[in-house]
Amino acid sequence: MRSIFLLIIMGAILLGAQYSVIISKKIDISSLSSQQLRDLFLQKRRTIGNLKIIPINLVGQDSARTAFEMTVLGMDRDHLNNYWIKQHYQGISPPLTQPSFESIKAFVENVEGALGYIPSSMVDAKVKILYEF
Amino acid sequence: MKFILFSLFTIFALSLQAEPYKMGQGVKVNEMLNIGGYFSTEFESNRSSDSVALEDIAVIAYGDLHPMLSYLVELESAGFYRKNLSDDSHSSDKNFHIERLYGDLWISNEVNIRFGKQIAPIGYWNREPINVLRDTTSNPLYSMLLFPRFLTGIDINGFIPKVDGVKYHLFGQNNNDLDENYINIPNTHFFGFALEKEISNELSSGISIGDFIPKSSVRSQFIQANFKYDNEVWQILAEGLVAKSRYSNTRDEYAFSAYMQGMYRYTQKHAVIGRYEYFNDNRTQYEDNILTLGYSYRPWYPVSLKAEYQFHSKNDENRALISFSVLF
Repeated sequence: MRSIFLLIIMGAILLGAQYSVIISKKIDISSLSSQQLRDLFLQKRRTIGNLKIIPINLVGQDSARTAFEMTVLGMDRDHLNNYWIKQHYQGISPPLTQPSFESIKAFVENVEGALGYIPSSMVDAKVKILYEF
Repeated sequence: MKFILFSLFTIFALSLQAEPYKMGQGVKVNEMLNIGGYFSTEFESNRSSDSVALEDIAVIAYGDLHPMLSYLVELESAGFYRKNLSDDSHSSDKNFHIERLYGDLWISNEVNIRFGKQIAPIGYWNREPINVLRDTTSNPLYSMLLFPRFLTGIDINGFIPKVDGVKYHLFGQNNNDLDENYINIPNTHFFGFALEKEISNELSSGISIGDFIPKSSVRSQFIQANFKYDNEVWQILAEGLVAKSRYSNTRDEYAFSAYMQGMYRYTQKHAVIGRYEYFNDNRTQYEDNILTLGYSYRPWYPVSLKAEYQFHSKNDENRALISFSVLF
């Protein structure tokens, strides 16, 4: 498992950032640390400043989601499922999901505080990049 | 307007693309209602008897009533049915008790207010008290006898500003428990403070202090510390607590307990566990050294089959335990 993790990280370094974590350009936030991002997607933190954050995941087992989980969250899918099972007992649910990058982008553009990841090639002037992986 | 837009988007999103049900993560009806539950069965064999039990049955409901307000309700029946195989007697308690009933007011990352009946925010073991989430059927005595497991009051908690990854809890209760038949130490007063630090993805630790007045005994104060290392293969847990009870102006009595538990996951589904606990309560003149050796099999994470044997240093309390538990 560690070798897969290292391969993904090395691949990202060699190929450059493939995905961008985005938020609406109307939001006054310029960047996020990987720890902040991890805490938000694991529902350990709910806000940035006074803004309620709504993290959005891609549904299913797309390679982008796997890359996000391995490089940003630092967990494989099994480990993450176990984490959410423990959180279920604490009354905390996983982030909302969307079926495609297009719907993630539309959600982020239209809902204040929504935070999602899309291919860097899809980023335009309507959204702002907070983190790349 | 923003809230209406958010609500419409949420409803739209959920109706189009709900995540399929995953075992152990409940059923998400909508943002305001998630439903789950769990049960556990147990077989115990000790020197005096053998018994089987449907130990716990519980339902859980939780959700977000507003982006900044959420709730959780848990109703549990403990000791639902127990049969003594040695003398053929049985007992049953089918009453459901309020295990937890609280709301969370999410003001910011630094200030969250939890109000109602909740698990006391002390250590690790106490925070995941149900059979299916534990890696042994038994609990260390540390977690059962030395401090109230629940709080009916307020816990103000959050991240400490400008201190990386440190969370605090400031909690207090100045009334009876919501369900006095369902708490290990009924009390009228319970105040405390806890800190927890996530040092890395694998390493965390914490401390807490507390002060409580049991209904059947004298005021006690405690200081507690905990440590956890958890990677894909190994988990090391250690917790310890010292409690002091003042029986008069000149007489204090102390209790001390600590355990260390190691777990080796030799596959994702199979693990072996060893735990050593020292327990010494001068107030009740009870001292014991307990070694627990166990095995855990999880065909899926929320389905747990466990077996263990406990060696006690005194009172001939050695026992074997087997349990099967499921979280929905």
